[in-house]
Amino acid sequence: MRGIAGQARPGSILVLTGPNGSGKSTLLQILAGLIRPTRGEVRYLDGDGEVPREEWRHRIGMAAPALALYEELTAMENLEFCARVRGLEVDGDRLRNGLVAVGLDPDRPTVVGGFSTGMQQRLKLAQAVLHDPDVLLLDEPGANLDPDGQDWLAEFVRGMAEEGRTVVVATNDRDEMTWGTDRVALPG
Amino acid sequence: MTRRDILLGALFLWMAAVIWAAFLWAPAAAGFLGQSSRIVFFHVPTAWVATLSFLVSFIASVQYLRTRDPRWDVRAHASASLGIVFTILATVTGSIFARIMWGSYWNWDPRETSITFLLLIYAAYFALRGAVPDPERKAALAAVYAILAFVTVPFLVFVVPRIYWSLHPDTIINTKGRITMDSRMFRVFMASLAGFTGLAAWLYDLECRIEALRRKAEEEIL
Amino acid sequence: MWRFLGETMAVFAKDMRCEFRTRVAFNSLALFAVTTLAAVSYTIGPYGIAEADRPYLLGALLWIVVFFAAMAGLDRSFVKEEETHTAPLLRLAARPLVVWGGKLLFNTVTLALLMAILVPLYVVLMGLSVRTPGWFILVLAAGCLALAVTTTIVAAIVARAMSRGALFAVLSVPLLLPLLVFLIQGTRAAIEGRVPDVLAALRAVVSLGGVMTVASAFLFPVVWHD
Repeated sequence: MRGIAGQARPGSILVLTGPNGSGKSTLLQILAGLIRPTRGEVRYLDGDGEVPREEWRHRIGMAAPALALYEELTAMENLEFCARVRGLEVDGDRLRNGLVAVGLDPDRPTVVGGFSTGMQQRLKLAQAVLHDPDVLLLDEPGANLDPDGQDWLAEFVRGMAEEGRTVVVATNDRDEMTWGTDRVALPG
Repeated sequence: MTRRDILLGALFLWMAAVIWAAFLWAPAAAGFLGQSSRIVFFHVPTAWVATLSFLVSFIASVQYLRTRDPRWDVRAHASASLGIVFTILATVTGSIFARIMWGSYWNWDPRETSITFLLLIYAAYFALRGAVPDPERKAALAAVYAILAFVTVPFLVFVVPRIYWSLHPDTIINTKGRITMDSRMFRVFMASLAGFTGLAAWLYDLECRIEALRRKAEEEIL
Repeated sequence: MWRFLGETMAVFAKDMRCEFRTRVAFNSLALFAVTTLAAVSYTIGPYGIAEADRPYLLGALLWIVVFFAAMAGLDRSFVKEEETHTAPLLRLAARPLVVWGGKLLFNTVTLALLMAILVPLYVVLMGLSVRTPGWFILVLAAGCLALAVTTTIVAAIVARAMSRGALFAVLSVPLLLPLLVFLIQGTRAAIEGRVPDVLAALRAVVSLGGVMTVASAFLFPVVWHD
C-alpha cells in the first residue's frame, strides 16, 4: 500500500472499503499499532495534544478476524483478563453488563471454544468496548452475525459513535457501508 | 590506478611477504613438533578475525535496532558471513595442529570449545534469518539474536580459559602478561595479524557491496 | 509498580489457567522427561556406571534430560498465542514487559514443577547419593531460573518466525550450552560435596542468568512489537 493518508474525527464513522486484498485489514492493524508501517506514521490527538504510544491500549478498542479470544476460557474470564491486563479494576457488574449488552449470557459456563462464530463475534465486540475506548476499530464486524444480529450491530455501532467515539469500520458489506459519515475506498 | 587498487596491491604484497616470512624467515619455536609452530601465524589470526567479525556483527545489530537503517542490517549480515567462514578456518587449522601435536583432531579444550560455540551461534543466526520471510522482521529478529549471543560469549571465551586448564600453548600471552615469543616470530605474527585484518576488511567491504546490490535488485523486481 | 505486578500476574494466571485446562505444554515436557529418564534408568540404572564416574556422568545426564524436556515444551507459551491468533489481543491490551514477565513466570513455574517431579525420580532410579543436598537444590533452582529466562526470549523470537519446531532448539542450543556446562560442573561439585566449586559454578550461572535477564528485558519489546 502506498500513499494512504487521512484522518477521522470523534463522533464520526469512517468506512474503509475496497476489494479483497486491498489492505483494509492491514491498515486497521497499522492504526491499532499492531503492524509497523514501512513508512509514515499514525497519530492520535486529543484535547491535551498527542496521545503517547503507551496510552493507546487504553484508548483504542478493536474487533477483527485477526484478533481471537482465548478458547480455553469462558466469556467472563476472557473479559476479566482483558480488564486486568490493562490495569483496570475488575468490576464484576461491569463485565456482566458488557456481556449482556452484546447479547451474551454472563453465567454460561461454556468456554469460548464451544461458542458459535456469531457468539464469538459478539464477545469480540464486548472485549473491544470493555475499557471504554475513544477509538473503535472494527474489521468486518458483521461477518458472522445473523440478520437480527446485523441490525443490532448497526444500532450498537451508531450508538458508539453518538457517544463521541471515533469509529473506523473496514468492510465489504453493502449495509455496513451505509453507516459511514465518511468513506475511503482503497484501490485493489 | 585508484586509491583502492593501490591499497589492494599493498595488501597482496604484504600477505605474500607474511607467507614467505612465516615459512622461511621466522624460526620454528622450541617445544613444538618440527615445523608445526608455524601454524600460529595462520591459525590465531583467523580466530582473531572470527571474533572481530562477531564484534562487528554485534555493533551493526545494535545500530540497526537504534536507527532501523537497512544498511546496518547489510553490515551485520556481511560480517556474520565473514565470521562463519573464518570460524570454520580457525577450527580446521586448529584441528590440524592438534592432530600433529597431540595426536587427536579434537579435544574439547576450552578454546576449542569456545570456537565451536561461535560456530553454533553463527549457524543459528543464519538459520533464524532463513526462517523469517519479511525483510524488516528478519533484520530485527536477527539483530536481537546477535545481541543475545554476544552477551553470552564473553562468559565462555574469557571466563573458561582463565579458570580451567587448557591445552592451548601460552606462547602469546601467559598469565603474567609477558610476551615470550622469539622476536622474529613475534614480528611475523603481528604482521600476519595485520594482514589478516586487512584481508577481512576488504572481504567485508566486498560482501557489503554485493549484498546491497542484491537487495536493490530484489526491490526492483518487486 | 503494583499495577505492573498486577498486570503481569494477570498474564501469568491466564496462561496457567489455559494450560491447566489443556495441559499440552506440561504433558510434552513430562513425556519427554519421563521417556528419557526411563531409557536412561533402564540401560544404566543404579549400577551401570563406575563409582568414580558417577558424579560427573549422572550430573550431566540429569541436565541433558531437563534440557530436552525444556526444548519439548517451553516454546509453547509464545507459539500458541501466535497460532491461535490471540497474540494481537495481547499486543493491543498489554504492555510488552508485562507479557514478558508473565510468560517468564509461566515458564519458570512449569520447569520448576517438572524438575520437582523429575529430580526425586532421577535420584531414586539412578541411585544418586548427594553429599551436600542443600547446594544441590540451589544449583537446580538457579539452573531452572536461568533456563527459563533464556528459553522465554528465544520462544518469543521463534514465535515470530516460520518453521518453528526445530528452530527453537537450534536457537536455544548456543545460548544454553555455556549455562549447561556450568550447571553440570556445579551439580557434580554438589554431589561430591566440594562447596567452593559449587560456589564458583553458581556464580557463573547467576551472572550468566542475570545478563540474560537484563538483555531479554531490553530486547523483548523489539521482538514482541515487530
